[in-house]
Parts: sequence; C-alpha cells; structure tokens
Amino acid sequence: MTTSGPVSVMVVDDHPMWRDGVARDLAERGFDVRATAADATSAVRIARTVRPDVVLMDLNLGAESGVDATREITSGLTGTRVLVLSASGEHSDVLEAVKAGASGYLVKSASAEELVDAVGRTAAGDAVFTAGLAGLVLGEYRRMAAGPEDTTAPRLTERETEVLRLVAKGLTARQIADRLVLSHRTVENHVQSTLRKLQLHNRVELARYAIEHGLDSGPDANLDG
Amino acid sequence: MTRATAGSVRKDALKPLWRASVLLRVITLLFAAAVVVQHGGEYASAALAWVTIAAMAVWTLATSLVYLRMDRVRLWFTIVDLGLCCLLMSASRLVLTDQQRTVTAVPLVTTIWVTAVVAVGAVRSGMVGGTAFGAVVSLFNYGVRGYVDTDLTRDLVLLVGIGFVVGLASTTSKQSAERLAMAMRAEAATAERERLARTIHDSVLQVLARVRKRGRELGGEAAELAELAGRQEVALRALVAAAPLETDNGRADLRPRLQVLMTDRHQVSVPGTPVMVAESAAAELAFLVREALENVDRHAGATARAWVLLEDLGAEIVLSVRDDGVGIPAGRLAAAESEGRLGIARSIRGRVAELGGSVHLETGPRVGTEWEIRIPNAGRAR
Repeated sequence: MTTSGPVSVMVVDDHPMWRDGVARDLAERGFDVRATAADATSAVRIARTVRPDVVLMDLNLGAESGVDATREITSGLTGTRVLVLSASGEHSDVLEAVKAGASGYLVKSASAEELVDAVGRTAAGDAVFTAGLAGLVLGEYRRMAAGPEDTTAPRLTERETEVLRLVAKGLTARQIADRLVLSHRTVENHVQSTLRKLQLHNRVELARYAIEHGLDSGPDANLDG
Repeated sequence: MTRATAGSVRKDALKPLWRASVLLRVITLLFAAAVVVQHGGEYASAALAWVTIAAMAVWTLATSLVYLRMDRVRLWFTIVDLGLCCLLMSASRLVLTDQQRTVTAVPLVTTIWVTAVVAVGAVRSGMVGGTAFGAVVSLFNYGVRGYVDTDLTRDLVLLVGIGFVVGLASTTSKQSAERLAMAMRAEAATAERERLARTIHDSVLQVLARVRKRGRELGGEAAELAELAGRQEVALRALVAAAPLETDNGRADLRPRLQVLMTDRHQVSVPGTPVMVAESAAAELAFLVREALENVDRHAGATARAWVLLEDLGAEIVLSVRDDGVGIPAGRLAAAESEGRLGIARSIRGRVAELGGSVHLETGPRVGTEWEIRIPNAGRAR
C-alpha cells in the first residue's frame, strides 16, 4: 500500500465496455488508474510491472478464470490487494477467489459510490463483504467443521460467527457495532480475521498438496487440479 | 432427444446379443446335421430327417436376416419362430423309430438347435420371455418323446435356465443403455445451460449493468430506466447463477429454489455446497420464503430491502429473513389472528410446525422484522 498520493488501481475485465467505464468512473473520482487488462495472463504480467494498490478483478475472463490470477497476484505482490468485481453471481467461484487471496467482493451492479468506497476500504486493508459472500464464507467454515477430523482446519470464534451472520443478513459494520456494542474497528477486525484464516488455510492446503504430489516448484506453479 | 433415437440406443445395446443368438443357431444347425449323418442309417425315415435339416437351414437363414437387419424385432415374429421350431421338433416323431425315441434316446433331429429360439425369446423380451420360451420348448420335448424322465427334466432346467440368464443380460444391457442415454441428455442440457449462461454474461448482463449504473448517475428519466434495467439484471443473474433443480432419492438442494427469489431489493445468501433436504420440505420452505418476501414488499415500506440467509448446521437448517422496513407494531400480529384472518405469521408458523421446526420473530418500529426458522434435517449430503 502506498503511504502517500492517490490510490493506484488496475482494472481486469474481458468486456471492453465495462472495463473502460469502470476505469473512467475511478479516474473521475481521483484514483490513479495505472493499467487495464483483458485476460488473466496479461493481468498477472502487468500487475507485476505497475504494482497497483488495488486490482479490480472480474472472475469470468472468457476461457480463463480470475481465480488463478488472483492467487498469483496476491501471493507474489505484497503491496497489492485484489477486489473481486463480478457479475457471475455469488457463487463458488467467488469463494475460490477469496480463498485464493482476494480481500473482498462487490457485485457489478453496485453503484459508483459503493465502488469508490469499496476500493478505498480495500486499499486501507479492510475486507469488503457483501451479504452473499458472508453466506458463502459461513458455509465454508461449517463445511470444514463437519468434515473429517482435521486439526489444521480453521474455526470461527463465537463472536466471529455472530458478526458474519449479521453481515449475511445485510447489516452494515456500523449497525453490527451498535447491535453488539462493539467499536466499528473491532467489527472490521473480526470480518477480516475470518478471511485471513481461510486464506492461510488455503495456502497450507495447497502447499501440502504440492508436497504430496511432488509439485513443490515454487509459487508460480499452477496448483489447480 | 426423440423417442425414436432413444429406441435405437436400446436396439444398439442389444445388437451383440442378437448376433450371438444367430451364431448359436448356425453352430447348432451344423451340430444337428452331424448327428443326422451319424444316425442316418438307423432312422425310420432318413429322407425326412434331411428334409427337416433343410427346413432348419432355410429358417436359420431367414431368422438371421430378420434379427440382424431389422431395427425392431416384433414379438409376433419371435412367437412364429418358436412355433416353427416346435413344429420341426415334432417332425422327429416320424423320423425316429419308437425304439430310438423311447429306449435308446437317440437325439431328436433338431437336437440343441432349439436352444437358439430360447435365446431369441430372452433377447427380445427379457427374463420373462426367456423363461417362457424355455418352458414351451421343454414341454414340446416331453410331448415328442412321450414320457418324463431325469434326462428330459435336466433339459428343461437347462433350457429355462438359459432363457433366464440370457434374458437377465438383455434386460440389464437395455437398462444401462437407457441410463447412458439419460446421462448423455442431462450432460447435453448442462452444457447448453452453461453456454447460455456464458452468452448472457458476456452480452446482456454487461449491458444491463452498465445501463443501470450510468442511468442512475444521470438521474431523472434515465434513472427510472436504470431502475428497470437493474431489476432485469438481478433477475437474470439469479437465473443464470441458480443451479439446475436436481433431486436425488427424494432429496433436493434447497439453494437454487431460494436463489431464484433474488431481486435488486431481495438478497439471498447461501453456502457454496448443496443443502440437501427432503424434496417436499424444499418446496415448502421456498414457498414460505417467497411469502415472507412478498409480505415485505406489501407492508415494510416502498424502500425496504430484505435479506435471506440459508445455513446448514448438519442436524438442522436455519433460514433467516430480515428486512429493514417499518417493522410490525406490537400487537398487530395478534390482532390479525384474533380477527380470524390467516396472517403471515400464522401461515408461516403453521407450515414450519408441520416440518417439525420452530420460528423466532423479532420486530419493532424502525428496526425492521427478522424471522428465524429452524428445521430439523436428516443430515448433510456428502
């Protein structure tokens, strides 16, 4: 994350009309739009060069998926965060992107104000959750808890479960803070922690998979399978 | 896929069995001819024996053409086949001397050639056909010989057994061919759905989303159009995202039935993995949520939004429906019920009680309304 100046952004989307529209919206509101990309491969390459604070990532990139690009960008570039902006519906691909390291998710139908707010919060290190993503993350923790005994699988604390359920029911961080009598910052921290645990576990799982299958050839290896 | 092609799939599945039955008939014909050569001199009428063999050869050729060439073998033809085989068996009464027929038990002219027709019955009509054809041939065998003994009864057991086993093979391959055809149809439908979803994502959704966003910013009449476009966008996105409605042993995934209720004012949040419940419960719960959302539209105020959350706790399903509307004033629910009107609360409570679940309602002025419905579930599908 930059310490001064405007937040730098990169827009990845295979649809030119959308890509240029979003880039213009953000530029008009004072963001530094460093680059755009139309496919996953060039997105990773360009991100390495321009090192933006935030990458706005569409998941449905023609034949490619934004999930792998998200993993490569977040694991390779420490100062860069990925915000998923997708019209593909709140589904498992969004969950996969978040597990791969994305810091949040916004639907494409969100207003320009919501988008600007979300990019700002992502740059500041906060997690951007929709109710739909909270439902998916909650379901993912429950799935892991119900699965075979796995001591490495992360668990939610009671408080985190409570916060995540309220996010999934459409309450804003402010409303949750009021209802649970917590500070706004504490609520944000709880939400972030649910994501971080999931991402850490995902990285451990991938590493374990790589070692078991003799694929430990560094972070650039494509470990999807 | 049409019925005709489904039929041809079945026929294709049986082709190897038909070919085997024809091969069996040809080989057994050669065997029968060899038996006649061996016993020729001792017969009452060697000439008739050769006439029988000739008739068998002609019939073998005729049936081979029918069974290998025809797309569909008719039941009546297989019965004619059976009748002719039995007739040729009966001819042996005139060929064999009484001594040969009853005491020395010389084989009938047809010998094991008749097993082929049992196989035909089995391939055509499955276990029932095979068993029936085997029984008819065996009964004729008794009739032609004119007595019952261990050897003839052994023949009966073998013939009926062959009919049963071949029939079982025929039925099984027919069923697996049907299953394969069904799986292929389902796969084609899924592929088509994915292709449509991709097309919609690449074109319609992108444009609608853009129209909605830009229109809102322009304001005025454009904002109204944006609102319309937005509503269509969300509805279309929900349709595309919703997985196909599949049932498995009377259990169904509850998620797609809730996801289709998503609009720009109603958000539906579900887990990433299927939430399997009894099919009837899935329909009931979807109806209930739809009712609750309609109630939000009617009573919670024009700008009220609603959120549906589905959670699978393994032993129970939790469904929450929350809105940020005006809330239900204290006592209004009770008043509606005491007036004898079936209010939303009573309707929801009744349905949930039938599913063995419980309802918790939280409401008040300015905080909106939140329903929490808990339904016991047999457990998650793995």
